[in-house]
Amino acid sequence: MSILEYNGAAIIAMAGDGCVGIAADRRLGAQLHTIATDFTKCFRMAPKLYVGLGGLATDVQTLHQLLEFRMNLYTLKEEREMTPQVFSHLLSHLLYEKRFGPYFVEPVVCGLDEKGEPFLSGMDLIGAPVTAKDFVVTGTCTGNLFGMCESLYKPKMNPDELFECLAQSLLSSVDRDSVSGWGGIVHIITKDNVITRELKGRMD
Amino acid sequence: MAALIGNDILDIGSRKARRQREDPMAPGFAFGAPGQFDIPNVADPAAYCRSNFASVCGTGDEDQSVKFMKGTTTLAFKFNGGVIVSVDSRSTMGAYISSGTVKKVIEINPFLLGTMAGGAADCSFWERNLGMECRLYELRNGRRISVAGASKLLANVMSSYRGYGLSMGTMIAGWDEKGPQLYYVDDDGTRLKGKIFSVGSGSTYAYGVLDNYYREDLTIEEAVDLGKRAIYHAAHRDAASGGINNLYHMTKDGFVKVHSIDVNDMHYQFAEERARAMQS
Amino acid sequence: MDTVVGVCYEGGVVIAADQSNGRSILTYQTNLDKIAKLSSHSMMGVSGPNCDLVNFTQYVAKNINLYELSNDGTKLSTKAQANFARGELATALRKGPFQVNVLLAGYDDKTKGSLYHLDYMGAMQKVKYGAQGYAQYFVSSIFDKDCTENMTEEDAVKIVEKCIKEIHTRFLMSQPNFIIKKVDKDGVKVLSFDADPADT
Repeated sequence: MSILEYNGAAIIAMAGDGCVGIAADRRLGAQLHTIATDFTKCFRMAPKLYVGLGGLATDVQTLHQLLEFRMNLYTLKEEREMTPQVFSHLLSHLLYEKRFGPYFVEPVVCGLDEKGEPFLSGMDLIGAPVTAKDFVVTGTCTGNLFGMCESLYKPKMNPDELFECLAQSLLSSVDRDSVSGWGGIVHIITKDNVITRELKGRMD
Repeated sequence: MAALIGNDILDIGSRKARRQREDPMAPGFAFGAPGQFDIPNVADPAAYCRSNFASVCGTGDEDQSVKFMKGTTTLAFKFNGGVIVSVDSRSTMGAYISSGTVKKVIEINPFLLGTMAGGAADCSFWERNLGMECRLYELRNGRRISVAGASKLLANVMSSYRGYGLSMGTMIAGWDEKGPQLYYVDDDGTRLKGKIFSVGSGSTYAYGVLDNYYREDLTIEEAVDLGKRAIYHAAHRDAASGGINNLYHMTKDGFVKVHSIDVNDMHYQFAEERARAMQS
Repeated sequence: MDTVVGVCYEGGVVIAADQSNGRSILTYQTNLDKIAKLSSHSMMGVSGPNCDLVNFTQYVAKNINLYELSNDGTKLSTKAQANFARGELATALRKGPFQVNVLLAGYDDKTKGSLYHLDYMGAMQKVKYGAQGYAQYFVSSIFDKDCTENMTEEDAVKIVEKCIKEIHTRFLMSQPNFIIKKVDKDGVKVLSFDADPADT
């Protein structure tokens, strides 16, 4: 089993019409053993910017702390929020800095930029960025996630439709993955606010 | 060598040894090596099979190109009212859940049940083969085979294929002249008689519940509930177990299939019961 | 190989750990205390090789003590202590890790009892109950079944004793002795042990 699959994860970030959403499962495991079902894998980095970190749980937490530190430093120095584009580049650089001893994390970034336009990006564990217009996924069941997103995604979804699409894609995907699931969480970022909902999922 | 298989492929287990004695043209693997299946033409066929086609439970086959179903929770226990056999229904290939609705209890005959853990093919094939042997015994002797005898037949097959990478952890539950019986048989030829067994990656979790709440004088209702709860807790904690709980009760009149309940429905039902108990 | 289990109850936390230390096929000692006191109101149950176990617990405990001494007796919250331990594990991971799995329990006036589950890599999670070592495969289901909200100390100890009984019946390795400690508003206290750690 790969190190990236040790703890288990399933994360999707998806764009709608003037809104973006991110959904993640809640499991923390050690291979087949489930340790907890309330683990956090999506983090708010700025009011309209979320990052989802899938991979080795210790590196998820380490990287989150590092990102939070860099974000705070940026806001103090620049006296403004970081845009998703800049954040994505920062993250990519942080990951490449550890090119020969990487953090075992594959992140997805989603947010609204200064014009209120959706921004999505995903990257591998050494920071090769991929931007997308529709959705990006990461975790232990990317095959399932891509399949669900490809079939359920449609352009220009409103926040409610986006939530439904994310929730259905996530829940159906993790039902066919043994090491992720055990409930989920969805954040929908609109220009006015962020709506967070918890999902009831299969608990086996 | 292929000609050796003939048209009675189900006949391999029991009469293997005799065939090997009788057929001087059988492949030259002396001392109990399988003669009916095609054997790879290499220096050490056992080692070759073990390292390429073994369906190891756990994560022992990453570097193996052929991987098999594994990851299971099955349990069975004897009590005054008979035997309860309770299993999950998940089948995984690596992290992928290849099925959530597998039947892991094999109804060998109305008085014999077998459970399936380890390689699906190995279990279903050899337990079907056992079913045939049991039927033949019945026809020859005019009475049903004892559970001890049936489990011994299976254990003999397992011991003759030892080292070839078969993967099977099974419980044989039944009711014979001596009453309810429960045996454990696995791929390295182990055969144990006992009151409580659980097999598979989720077995330790199931044992945690079983050991704490098992009594010989459980009522049938309590026993069914215990069997169902143990599977639920295993399915909740073990990633490779889950899906549907199939539960059988072996009585003096043969087995009864008690229920098939979705483990997830159980989770929310138990959560609700707990919440209600907290309020009162 | 070692067993550590922990449960939160209303107003505190109970941790139990086995007292054995062995190597290869040999048991050296059966009266160890693997639950280290970190500060007046926190403790850490550790599973792992004795070398890492001792080095890590002492390092964490002394640093927490140092913080209190150099900050006019300001106490670190349980959360802060757990985060410190996590940081040390995560840093050590990339330069010769500490092979220790930790259950860290503490009591704060605000949050009452809290329990943190840390693996040797540094993945940290706050839990209501948890276990480390092979024991987690045996006792997790017992916790899931029996733990409820608002348990009393007696309830918690009863569940822990169930777990120990299960380990005695099903776990292949011999772990004859266990030590049970609790932390509540009055600090860390030994509830019981099968062999006196001071008896050497």
